[in-house]
Amino acid sequence: MYLYDAIDREFLTDRSNEFRHQVARRLAGELTEDQFKPLRLMNGLYLQLHAYMLRIAIPYGSLNSRQVRRLAWIGRTYDKGYGHFTTRQNLQFHWIKLKDVPDILDAMAEVDLHAIQTSGNCIRNVTADPYAGATAEEIDDPRVWSEVLRQWSTLHPEFSFLPRKFKIAVTGALTDRAAVKTHDIGLFLRKGRDGAIGFEVVAGGGQGRTPYIAQTVRSYLPAEHLLSYVEAILRVYNRHGRRDNIYKARIKILVAALGIEEFTRQVEEEWGKINAERADLPAAELDRIRAAFAQPRFETLPDVSDAFEAARAASPALQRFVRNNVKPHKVPGYAIVEVSLKAIGQTPGDATADQLDVVADLGERYSLDDIRVTHAQNLVLPHVKLDDLPAVHAALEAAGLATANIDLASDIIACPGLDYCALANARAIPIAQDIARKFADPDRAEKVGELKIKISGCINACGHHHVAHIGILGVDKKGEEFYQLSLGGSGAEDASIGKILGPGLSADKVAPAIDALVEAYLHIRTGEERFLDTYRRVGLEPFKEAVYAQAD
Amino acid sequence: MKAITANRLIDGEVVFWKGGAWVDGFGDAQLFDEGQDAEVETAVATGKAQPTVVIDVYSIDLTPSDGRWAPVSYRERIRALGPTNEPTHGKQAVGGEVVEALRHADGAARSTGRVDLIRRK
Repeated sequence: MYLYDAIDREFLTDRSNEFRHQVARRLAGELTEDQFKPLRLMNGLYLQLHAYMLRIAIPYGSLNSRQVRRLAWIGRTYDKGYGHFTTRQNLQFHWIKLKDVPDILDAMAEVDLHAIQTSGNCIRNVTADPYAGATAEEIDDPRVWSEVLRQWSTLHPEFSFLPRKFKIAVTGALTDRAAVKTHDIGLFLRKGRDGAIGFEVVAGGGQGRTPYIAQTVRSYLPAEHLLSYVEAILRVYNRHGRRDNIYKARIKILVAALGIEEFTRQVEEEWGKINAERADLPAAELDRIRAAFAQPRFETLPDVSDAFEAARAASPALQRFVRNNVKPHKVPGYAIVEVSLKAIGQTPGDATADQLDVVADLGERYSLDDIRVTHAQNLVLPHVKLDDLPAVHAALEAAGLATANIDLASDIIACPGLDYCALANARAIPIAQDIARKFADPDRAEKVGELKIKISGCINACGHHHVAHIGILGVDKKGEEFYQLSLGGSGAEDASIGKILGPGLSADKVAPAIDALVEAYLHIRTGEERFLDTYRRVGLEPFKEAVYAQAD
Repeated sequence: MKAITANRLIDGEVVFWKGGAWVDGFGDAQLFDEGQDAEVETAVATGKAQPTVVIDVYSIDLTPSDGRWAPVSYRERIRALGPTNEPTHGKQAVGGEVVEALRHADGAARSTGRVDLIRRK
């Protein structure tokens, strides 16, 4: 992984010291809250319902064991012994005290972590495929380009005061595990006709109150021009983005207003004016960054591990875990292991400090010191030897981390909702817990198959409800929590925005409604159809009937 | 009936007004009758003039519950209790009658519960 150099470390130390002084001045009354708020937000510090919340950037969801251990230590020392992984591959602590934050930032800086650009109208933490460097379907390693973008966008003076926040995602695989098309800029690595590497550049995606799927601005951009091209897009946005209306300030509104052809024309024109030699990354610098992601020395192993085969033949639990949580690796004898943070009844995305320590140990011992965070609020051990799978599974099981439900109905994305968040209108976590309990029987969950349920506690859509197979949006209806269901969304390579099913439901009616939707699906599905495929074939009507006939 | 709430600057803790001071528990909060609007206004103004102690001072509407008072707003009840997904986290951890009354309260959610609500950017 990319490790900071002396300059990076000095910068983080300075930044931490600066914030320490800012906090002291705020507490002494030398700064008003209006003056202080933008400063704390620049360091990822929000005030939520019960305490401050600190959002820590995890660049492209990639961590080493030392960092995970440090996060566990922070959770234990300054929070209530846990942390919450977000849909942007970040980690949030929900019980932070302002007076402790400078010490926390110092502790993070020691392991190359910070909370810069996790808030505000700037380029936010770049997200990427959590299987990067491990999956066989990859054209190039998206971490290389994510790191290029991270370094370029960090404190970029021209893009520090954009009309609104700006999110970039990168994937090198055809399977989209990073919800790339819901981003302001999405980058798909592509192979050119000449065999060179480039990007399909999409822009104008986003969720929130006006969801859009990103559209293609350029089907092939030679990779070496990434920075100049992204700069051109940002310049067009920075110039024309609506600063007068917060609800119309994201680039998606601009792209929709101009139309993709005109937007593209303006971007290309702007790109033509940029001195690429100045703007693009020098080849030597790219090589330096790429070297940080050089393929680790994998062992030469047989395709099949006898030890693993024997273990799984003897253990239905391991067998189930392998069916759902273990994915093919590019190197024979290795596997990608997903660690579910969705145990039935638990808060989606929460990990205790003890669990984080277990994951750190497993990552260090069995996964080449590499640990990833997914946008679905789970963790990944990307490089596990098949020989080691039984031991890894046993250790995860002992820590309550072996729930075999990746992409199943109980693997629910949920934002913190009204239990924590100052913006929320309704709770999301208890709804997720109720639904997960309906699928506590793992046989039933597997029978249903891939079903992505996602819940947001307000229209800002941190819970990705627009791009869920079944999306749930919490609203405040005449003073009560109500939930609006939508079907047919997808955040993957077949991206689409869900359609609203019908009138909102009260909190206690949501899980039974999901049950009814699933039963209807099981009744009408044909062959290997996923829930999403069946919906796309039959439309809303049969599902509407299933939910609202029962509700009457 | 009304109470006054804020978050304490130094740690973000939810606090309630009580006769010129800030207390952690909703059960200890000073309650204002319908006729005491002027007192509420004065107390809110006093709180707002303590920017190094508290932030975001506002009054909340209350409703009867279990023979006690509880915030009308769901959001305010969660602030007074702690998150519903972690019953041992936050103020609710102490248990007792006040907590039970808050848990049993029903009524409107945030949009009608917070007086003079201004959506912050």
